[in-house]
Amino acid sequence: MLITGIKSRPVYDQLRPLPGGIRHLVAGQGSGGRAMLRLLDEMPEQGMQTTLLYSQESFSGLDFLAELQQRQVAELRVYPSNQELVADLERILGNARMGTRLYLSGSESFIGTAMQVATHYDMNSDEVLREHAGSFVRRIWCVHCDSYTENVTQRVFQCPGCNAMLVVRDHYSRRLAAFQAVKADAEVPGELPEAEELDT
Amino acid sequence: MSLSNGTLNVRVARIEAVTPEIKRFTLVATDGAHLPPFSGGSNVVVLIPHENGTYRNAYSLMSSPYDSSAYQIAVRRVEEGRGGSLRMHEAVNEGDVLEILRPVNLFPLSKHARLHLFIAGGVGITPVCSQLAELRLRGTPFEVHLAVRGAEHARLGEELVREYGDAVRLYRNDLDQRLDISVVVAARPLGSHLYVCGPESMIQDAIDSAHAQGWTDSHIHYERFLEQGSVGEAFSVTLARSGATIEVSPDQSLLEAAEAAGHSIPYLCRGGACGECETRVLELDGEIVHTDDWLSDEDKAANTKIMPCVSRAKCSRLVIDC
Repeated sequence: MLITGIKSRPVYDQLRPLPGGIRHLVAGQGSGGRAMLRLLDEMPEQGMQTTLLYSQESFSGLDFLAELQQRQVAELRVYPSNQELVADLERILGNARMGTRLYLSGSESFIGTAMQVATHYDMNSDEVLREHAGSFVRRIWCVHCDSYTENVTQRVFQCPGCNAMLVVRDHYSRRLAAFQAVKADAEVPGELPEAEELDT
Repeated sequence: MSLSNGTLNVRVARIEAVTPEIKRFTLVATDGAHLPPFSGGSNVVVLIPHENGTYRNAYSLMSSPYDSSAYQIAVRRVEEGRGGSLRMHEAVNEGDVLEILRPVNLFPLSKHARLHLFIAGGVGITPVCSQLAELRLRGTPFEVHLAVRGAEHARLGEELVREYGDAVRLYRNDLDQRLDISVVVAARPLGSHLYVCGPESMIQDAIDSAHAQGWTDSHIHYERFLEQGSVGEAFSVTLARSGATIEVSPDQSLLEAAEAAGHSIPYLCRGGACGECETRVLELDGEIVHTDDWLSDEDKAANTKIMPCVSRAKCSRLVIDC
């Protein structure tokens, strides 16, 4: 059931200025701030058309807020959590106009949930770039209780939603922005597959 | 329905003059059955026999995709063309049987759009008609901006105004009502899509205006209504697989010349858009006149591929892989 070389996992980009945009939204979290800074260096003329969104939630503890505050941009919006950033992004995109470019940088969970919003507003690959930063800890969706668990690093873990022992499948769903996990001992209760570290 | 050699036989149930230049043909299956379903923006190729062969002209379906009892097409009379549309106007009568191909769609609606904006000039409104019928059920908001020359050319547009109200705006050239595309595409919500069907200058204006407002190509769709096929200087081409050398006359495309000589080349749109007939060039002594929208600029410059449905050659020798 478990496969290697995850074809369903998105192939991420490197942030670079997208041509033609008249407004730029640069959103990142944690160590994704480094790619945001590099991108801003590459588009010095667009500062006044650029809005930064930065979440200080970080798995690795890295924080680039102080450097981002030094940049000349139209606005810098700061959030304590990725979820609050994504909720605000949804509001911003709801009022945004054609000509907007979106740049995302951060964890797979952050990028995936932000992409759910961007896709809802029909933003295409010529309007959005995604750069992965940090480790590949997984966001998990439990097929049994429909709950999501962030930052999973182990193949076998206990679902905080339904307490079932789950095995994480190597299949990423962009629609759910998560890997699926299913009950690990469904056939023989108590018989669990070998524990292993995920390729995070 | 009658299907032979992949074509459909249809009877011309009705012909109406809708403008001084455009006739609308209503086509039904000869056996009264339902016609194959299609989606908004589709076209059909009509086989139009003439002295030395058959023209294959593509026309947009303008009837509702939800009515498979009949197809409707609008044919604009093109005096300076090869003669296909003139034959449709002058030689085809109600009750006649025509041979057509199954519908294909090279101008479909974007399924994820939040707002659809249509820009059309004259007979370019025809693909929009079937797209609007599809949108009405879908419920996504839309606007139509249609430019016409004068009152007698406005009838198709007026039908749409009656059907869809304020969502359809007519611009009459004789009343100095100018369609400013840069205003139409300005400050539109994210997820808007632009569809353009009209003369070349209108398409280019729309693309330039949208780009200037920051639109990306994935949101810009267009269909040219240049008369299908190609005209130009005569040339000859060798088909490598059979070794046959074919003369392409000035009013024939390479594809039509090959078909007239009994060879078949795969095709869909016959308008240089879909890519189906892409063929490798094996030998060339001269230059290819690329007029398609399919090959990249690099491919065109390299002269290693040709689209036989529209492109021609100015050369002493051309060998293609078919």
